[in-house]
Amino acid sequence: MTAALECRGVWKSYASRRIGLKTLLLGQRAARTSRYARRWALQDVSFEVSRGQAFGVLGANGMGKTTLLSVLLGIVQPERGSVSLRGRVASLLELGAGFHPELSGRDNLFLYGSILGMRRREVAERLRAIVEFSELGDAVEEPLRTYSAGMITRLGFSLMAHAPADVFLIDEVLAVGDARFQEKCRAHLLEFKRRNGTLVIVSHDMEALAALCDEGIRLDMGQVADAGRIGELIGRYQTQ
Amino acid sequence: MIERNARQTLEFLYLLARMELKARYKGRLLGYLTAVGLTFGVAFVFWIAFKVIMNLDMPNYSVFLVAGIFPWAWFNLSVVSATRSFVAHAPLVKEMGFAHAILPLSNVVQEMLHFLLSLPLVLAWIVFPGDSPPSVHWIWQIPLLVGLQLAFVYPLALGAALANAYLRDIEYWIGVFFVLLFFATPMVYPISRVPAPLADWFELNPVHALMECWRASLIEGRFDAPHAAYAAAFAAVCGVLVYALYRRFAPRVGEVV
Repeated sequence: MTAALECRGVWKSYASRRIGLKTLLLGQRAARTSRYARRWALQDVSFEVSRGQAFGVLGANGMGKTTLLSVLLGIVQPERGSVSLRGRVASLLELGAGFHPELSGRDNLFLYGSILGMRRREVAERLRAIVEFSELGDAVEEPLRTYSAGMITRLGFSLMAHAPADVFLIDEVLAVGDARFQEKCRAHLLEFKRRNGTLVIVSHDMEALAALCDEGIRLDMGQVADAGRIGELIGRYQTQ
Repeated sequence: MIERNARQTLEFLYLLARMELKARYKGRLLGYLTAVGLTFGVAFVFWIAFKVIMNLDMPNYSVFLVAGIFPWAWFNLSVVSATRSFVAHAPLVKEMGFAHAILPLSNVVQEMLHFLLSLPLVLAWIVFPGDSPPSVHWIWQIPLLVGLQLAFVYPLALGAALANAYLRDIEYWIGVFFVLLFFATPMVYPISRVPAPLADWFELNPVHALMECWRASLIEGRFDAPHAAYAAAFAAVCGVLVYALYRRFAPRVGEVV
């Protein structure tokens, strides 16, 4: 099978702390150390995902999962190592990012679609299907500020589901929304996989990971602590 | 990285600017009139302060004010909103793969569109009292000055956005800086009222050059070539400098916002 995504020996350090003019002029106070404090956000992370596979990334909070997705997406550059990703990618990393509260759901679909790299024409062609999938009905004409978190999830996911992509990167957004819609999303992702689409999912929802993924890794303090078939990986993680 | 060609980038910029204007005007004529009316309102406050209270002796003072304050509003509001653009769109900058430089550009373009939409009312205001007849030269002067101002403002907006991503309190200082610049340009009194040694310093201010170009064109139909050349030279130097800074610092913006 062809690898849709390869992550080879990725190292990523944390960015310098945010400072202000005052700190710049008067000097910096020493940073407090916490149990999450470490030099490397990611250390020598390597894995490979074949086309048509779903790959799960698990681990406790602050272990580097979201940083890893940002590196995969190419927004954050690793210090060492490389990432190669074949095909069009769509991401759903944080819901509501890129949405405008004063605009209607429909206008937001065009805006967010453009962020995902879709042309206006592509969104217009799929608009009906997107709205139908979201089940929002006439609410798409209402401003987004009137939406609940669940409704925003529906809008965001429905758009992403209709984006012409070969690889989906998803960070923990499946946990929002009602159970029936979650089930619908899962079914859609399985269908995407069946059509040879590739998925990388970061989640704390072990049930969803087990249902969707084939393989995965567990990150611990930025390092790959465990890897393998998803069922066994989750089993070892939960009995830790 | 989500790939985006030049056409898609332009489309994204267009959508961002159009949607922002739609949200501002709420898609209605009343919304547009309110947005334009706010700038007229600011001019009215200065008219009261300087003409009525301070008794400034200057004919056609309201025309002088309006001819300057709309291009100023485009300049000021673009840079101030762009300063926060990376920070305000942090989730987008962090998690969506596209050139960050589009965000401050969309701020500048939004304000430019607002300026262009306000222009008919501004020109009507200037022409109506009868001392400044409409000029045929506006046909080429206005597009040229719009282009000049776009080239002038964008590097500053991008530089401010970049600086604020790394030095977070710039967004608080920029407001103070713009108040100083407003009076040092100057916007509410002519430079002839500034005492001699200080006026020479004011003449060095590139924003003054730009605003003089607008006033010369809108009020007199005259192209102020020396000031335009000075503003263009400043825009070019700023453009090169900010481009170099952007190349150096943009790759880590997603990590510091």
